[in-house]
Amino acid sequence: MSERKKLDRRDFMRTAAAFSFTGATWMAVGQKAEAKYWQLDPAKCTQCGRCTTHCVLNPSAVKCLNQFDICGYCDLCFGYLQPGSRDLDTGAENQLCPTAAIERKFIEAPYYEYKIHEDKCIGCAKCVKACLVFGNGSFYLQIRQDICINCNECSIAKSCPSDCFSEVPESDPYMYLTGDTYLAHPPA
Amino acid sequence: MKEPVRKTKHPYLVGVAIACVVGGYFHLVSKEKKFPEPGPNLEYDISELLEIDEVETAFEETGQIVPDFDEAKALETDADGNLYISGKNTIAVFDRAGKETSRIAVDGTPTCLELAPNGQLLVGMGDHVLVLAPDRSPLATWTDLSERTHISAIAADEENVYLADGGSRIVLRVDYDGTVLGSFGKADEARDIPGLEAPSAHFDVAFDNDGQLWVVNPGRLGLERYRDNGDIVTTWYRPDVTRLDSFSGCCNPMQIAFNSKGRLITGEKGPVRIKIFEVTSGSFEELVVGSSAFHVPQQIGDLVVDSSDRILVLDPRKKAVRIFEQTRTDLARKEAAE
Repeated sequence: MSERKKLDRRDFMRTAAAFSFTGATWMAVGQKAEAKYWQLDPAKCTQCGRCTTHCVLNPSAVKCLNQFDICGYCDLCFGYLQPGSRDLDTGAENQLCPTAAIERKFIEAPYYEYKIHEDKCIGCAKCVKACLVFGNGSFYLQIRQDICINCNECSIAKSCPSDCFSEVPESDPYMYLTGDTYLAHPPA
Repeated sequence: MKEPVRKTKHPYLVGVAIACVVGGYFHLVSKEKKFPEPGPNLEYDISELLEIDEVETAFEETGQIVPDFDEAKALETDADGNLYISGKNTIAVFDRAGKETSRIAVDGTPTCLELAPNGQLLVGMGDHVLVLAPDRSPLATWTDLSERTHISAIAADEENVYLADGGSRIVLRVDYDGTVLGSFGKADEARDIPGLEAPSAHFDVAFDNDGQLWVVNPGRLGLERYRDNGDIVTTWYRPDVTRLDSFSGCCNPMQIAFNSKGRLITGEKGPVRIKIFEVTSGSFEELVVGSSAFHVPQQIGDLVVDSSDRILVLDPRKKAVRIFEQTRTDLARKEAAE
């Protein structure tokens, strides 16, 4: 019967060094493998409304953003007003948003700023579609990464009819709208 | 006495059966609809707004010219029926049959073109204007035109050149040396000028057949007629998304042109519609082509009318110039009778 070898100081140091090396290597590789987050491509979005109903969170982690450098600051804003509204004002009957999440603020005649209150926004994309069809297309949807719980399998992505969801790196978690977004990828 | 426990002779089969039952249950559960479909309150339905242009028209698309370069943006025609199409680093000239006859190299992508009465070709290059001589050699460059210049359209008569500056939301009056003589379009209550509203860089100017200058006020969805000195002569606005005789969207019409009879041809973005108006009163006359002929939504690059009254529309989605001509004689007869 063989005797169990006794661990001397040298063996202990060797083992410790091996563990340290392995740990450092794992840490280095682990840091390089960047975390991924779900995001939607506004150029592919068809404003189907499922971002509101298919997110595991209620209200959805998908919110509308307004890209101010594309916005026309229109008085007659189709993203804000019901089509055919008689009065261009903040009357509830004139507002398109089902949760009144868009604030209309006078800047200077005849321009208005439209700010989205994300705590009220449910990501339905009615304003996105209206602005795209009748305006400059400055409204668009994005998953707010500070709200999203980053499910392993995003339930909105599973049901998205335009396949516009993908995983993006942590360092670049949003897909901002540019003036050429819709020209480069015209909505289908 | 304790009874012996009965043991199955096929334990594996029992295991498989249990696994099938459990698997089937989870399969059925996963098939159930976990999330509701969005209801009508979450839908922006534009079908009714698109139906308004489902009418018979006297016009048909009779052909297309497809340039073989990228970023086609502007059109111009001459008295001989030649068509100029600008694109990336080039302006190509096509004859009436759609055959390319020559090319002019330019540095950049022209945003608009205008053939001046003296034969010069004025090329809007965004923040400056390039002047090409009648032989199409470079003659001059007009720079420092305004604080935030974006030239979106040019109209020229014998003495003056009018530049629609979408960046500064004004119209610049310039002489043929490129000297800015004045500008107009800023709101001025004392002169009853409402001010040009250009929410996007689509902002057109054109002369009618009587030599009167018409300026689109896209934010007000109508047209304004100006004198040289910037005085406003007349205006009409037609904002109504629910009516065919009006303009839809936040900023339309994005393009205007005049045919040989002096009728105003307008081009709208969003749901693309090409319409004909009587320019002085702003009364709608007829639809040339409705949104069903285009993708919804989309923009048009440019719109011109050639010497044969063909309406040429630059469709950036098809990357082609689409030609619309009046072909229906019954409507034409009705129109003549009226």
